[in-house]
Amino acid sequence: MPNRIEFIQGTLDLLILQVLRWGPQHGHGIGQAIRIRSQEVLQVEHGSLYPALHRLEQKGWLASEWKMSEANRRARYYRLTPNGRRQLIEEQSRWKQLVRAVARTMKPVKE
Amino acid sequence: MWRRFFNRQATDADFEEELQAHLEIETKQLIDRGLTHEHAEMEARRLFGNRPLVMEASREVRGYGDLARFWQDLRYAARLLRRGPAFTVAAVLSLALGIGATTAVFSIADTVFLRPLPYADAGQLAWVAIRFPSIGAEFIPSPDYVAWRRDNQVFQELAATRANFDSIMLLGGSDPVEVAAGRVSANFLNAFSVTPAFGRTFKAEEELPNGPKAVLLTSQFWRDHFHGRRDVLGSVIPLDGQPYTIVGILPQSFVYPVDVKIDLLTTLPVSPTASHRDRSMSTWAVFGRLKHGVKLAQVRANLDTLFAASKADAPQMFRADNSVVLQPLREHRAGNVRVLLFILMGAAGCLLAIACANVANLLLARWSARSRELAVRAAIGAGRGRLARQLFTETALLIAASTAVAMIFVAAALRGFVHFAAAELPRLSEVTADVRVFGIALLVSLATVLIFGALPALRAGRVDIQSVLQRAGRGGAPGGHRIMRRALVAVEVALSVVLLSGATLLFETLWHMQNDHLGFRPEHLLTVAIPLRGSSFDGAAREALASDVLTDLRRIPGTEAATVAHCTPLYGGDRWITFSRSDRPLPEAFHRGDGIGVCGVGPDYLKAAGTRLARGRFLTDDDFQHPDTIAVINEAAARAYFPGESPLGKQILGGRVGPWKTVVGVVTDTKNQGLNQPATPEAFVNDTGPGSTVDLLFLVRTLAGEGALARALREDLRGQHPGLFTKIETLDEAIGQLTASPRFNTVLLSTFAAVAFLIAIVGVYSVLAFSVTQRSAEIGIRMALGASPRAVLALVMKEGAVVVTAGALAGVAGALVLTRYLTTLLYGVAATDPGTYLAVVTGLGLAASAASFLPARRAAVLDPVVALRYD
Repeated sequence: MPNRIEFIQGTLDLLILQVLRWGPQHGHGIGQAIRIRSQEVLQVEHGSLYPALHRLEQKGWLASEWKMSEANRRARYYRLTPNGRRQLIEEQSRWKQLVRAVARTMKPVKE
Repeated sequence: MWRRFFNRQATDADFEEELQAHLEIETKQLIDRGLTHEHAEMEARRLFGNRPLVMEASREVRGYGDLARFWQDLRYAARLLRRGPAFTVAAVLSLALGIGATTAVFSIADTVFLRPLPYADAGQLAWVAIRFPSIGAEFIPSPDYVAWRRDNQVFQELAATRANFDSIMLLGGSDPVEVAAGRVSANFLNAFSVTPAFGRTFKAEEELPNGPKAVLLTSQFWRDHFHGRRDVLGSVIPLDGQPYTIVGILPQSFVYPVDVKIDLLTTLPVSPTASHRDRSMSTWAVFGRLKHGVKLAQVRANLDTLFAASKADAPQMFRADNSVVLQPLREHRAGNVRVLLFILMGAAGCLLAIACANVANLLLARWSARSRELAVRAAIGAGRGRLARQLFTETALLIAASTAVAMIFVAAALRGFVHFAAAELPRLSEVTADVRVFGIALLVSLATVLIFGALPALRAGRVDIQSVLQRAGRGGAPGGHRIMRRALVAVEVALSVVLLSGATLLFETLWHMQNDHLGFRPEHLLTVAIPLRGSSFDGAAREALASDVLTDLRRIPGTEAATVAHCTPLYGGDRWITFSRSDRPLPEAFHRGDGIGVCGVGPDYLKAAGTRLARGRFLTDDDFQHPDTIAVINEAAARAYFPGESPLGKQILGGRVGPWKTVVGVVTDTKNQGLNQPATPEAFVNDTGPGSTVDLLFLVRTLAGEGALARALREDLRGQHPGLFTKIETLDEAIGQLTASPRFNTVLLSTFAAVAFLIAIVGVYSVLAFSVTQRSAEIGIRMALGASPRAVLALVMKEGAVVVTAGALAGVAGALVLTRYLTTLLYGVAATDPGTYLAVVTGLGLAASAASFLPARRAAVLDPVVALRYD
């Protein structure tokens, strides 16, 4: 197994929104996209992924519809709503702040 | 939320399909990578993980899980309760007793204190009286009532009833019966805004002393006695020999504001010219309906003015400590049962607390035993909140079942209350098992759930998975539970000590009341009452009848003595007058100073009553040549009015009230003011003529039973004097009525205490039995290492003794504080009587020792080999 990293609270939402920027995707595809784009570092548990999808849909950041998938069967595709897009931008800037802050803290102190 | 719940099947299916799609996509990708179809499917499922868990987690997000989970919890809880019937029955019964008792008592308190009075615009009704602290009574003398009704500016109506409630009248006819009559002023029904169901209310002239005589029947009496016939309106019935016209029927909902059952209402004689200078006056209970917009302060000011005028008119009648009483009617009706009700509420509350503690204890024990199950469930993914909620549901279900059972208790208890305590508690006739009572039960049980359901659930929800699973089946109780369970049992013991002390004190009171020296012998003593009011028996005819009856009574086999008397030994005289003696100045008329009861009796009174002569002689036949001239006083009178001198030969009770009477003897005191009061001064006078009424009363000491005597007497009288009504009672019955209310208090509190005691003892037993089971391995090791059975026995007994001692000490401390409130109900025993507490603690200690001995013995005879293999 490659090194896995536990998700920080709220990060999964950000990642899902980010993945859906490139177009509608079903649950399996979203999970795979996160895994591949993180070069196998981030493994999304299905027990977290689907509840997160449903939660985001309830908040109105995602919308879903049934479409034919590559496996030749109906699958549920999620896409970003305009609200979701705004949320993504907000979360991105917050994430960048966090990363910068953590990086600054972790930088070795010059003697 | 509801729509969601009903859509749940569809949405679940939706999600099912979404996951299925996920698996198929995964499978297809795996096949593309070269796996066989079978392998790919298996791998896809493996990669996906725990599918039901994902479903559950998602369901929670979608938010409709709560209700479904509640049903699941409920079904599971019901299954568990069914599986342990012994536990369930014990828990439900004890909770039901607690909830039932509390609900019943609170329902009564609610009726007495909170329920609106059954009169229109009842807030305007008030109780008006003058308080006479010297005789402990509140009433208004008739002249003052007439003046106040005429002169006040604040009442729409000021209505009067008889202050001494029981007015028995004789309804004539071929078979005369006694009826209970309420006597009221003509404006009474208007004051209470009551309109008759049929007919009319009293007219103003019907209350005049010589006015037309009218009655209104209560709905009940009308139906029982007149079969509910409308044509009785206007017909005439003979009451005490006088013709009364039935003018109306009271509505079914009518409640007489004085707590006494009445059959009919008739008028008081209200004389518009009543004055303090009249030869006699009555004392009345007065109710007023305030004019709208009048404040209580204004009313009080007006009443003070009126009272000042009364005092100016008759200064000798009132003392400085007399004062005007003005109370909203509701407050007056709640009256002095406050103490009793608070005691009952406290006792019921204690019982409920004990029941709760016991059930909490049983639950904790069960949950300790189930800690493994809970740990496993936690391990496979049940959150702590989830477990706590599950346990809470179990408790709630238990309490719901108990509440249902409790409602049966409540219905029975309320019926019992109405039957036994009608005289004790006002407005009790209005108590019914209705929605309000159910509401109270619901509140009580809800409080129970919140207080004790949540606490153990929170504790049990905190399961340390690892430690429990590592103990692998050893299923020991976590330490916290053990301390909590012992504390609960100690609380049970403490509360039952409080209840037991209270019950024992009341029991001793009852014992004293029934066994203290009465001063006379009530056994084989009968009273024969013949009401003559309104009949043609006056003067000589009455004398003749009296002597006829006496002759008959003496002829009946078994009669030892029979006499005419104005009063029984239980009542201190037929009249209460101011004491006077010829060698001192006369007291003023109506001077409410030092009183003495006067009772006219025949020469055989001493023998009939069984009273003893202390000094001098009793009345003889010769004394009756000159009636009302000789007196025999009781020791209380001798002590009060002849301290340090001999009363014999002194002239007393003369002047304005009649001829002087020479004291010829002193008799011992009887309990003539009730069983829990010292005797009051009383004089027996040689007078068998009419007393305060023309009715005849006889005291008969006989070996015959009351039934036999009654038959024989009625047989004899039927020929000589047809149509006479005779009422025969034993003195024992009269005493029984006097002790009815203390007996009721005692029975009630004793029942509470007995149940509490039982529950507490069961609590002690269950804690120790459980502890022995839990510690059997430890005990086995101890025994294997050489501990003797005696040492093991002592070990377990000590565990019990610590809990019980702690509880008992706390209980005695609590009881010492709380039983002070019982003081007004006690007689012959102090609230802090050390013997009582010693007895209670000893009794409880013995019972608790017995309860701990059983599990201790089981521990002592444990076979170490079996015990160690047990796990």
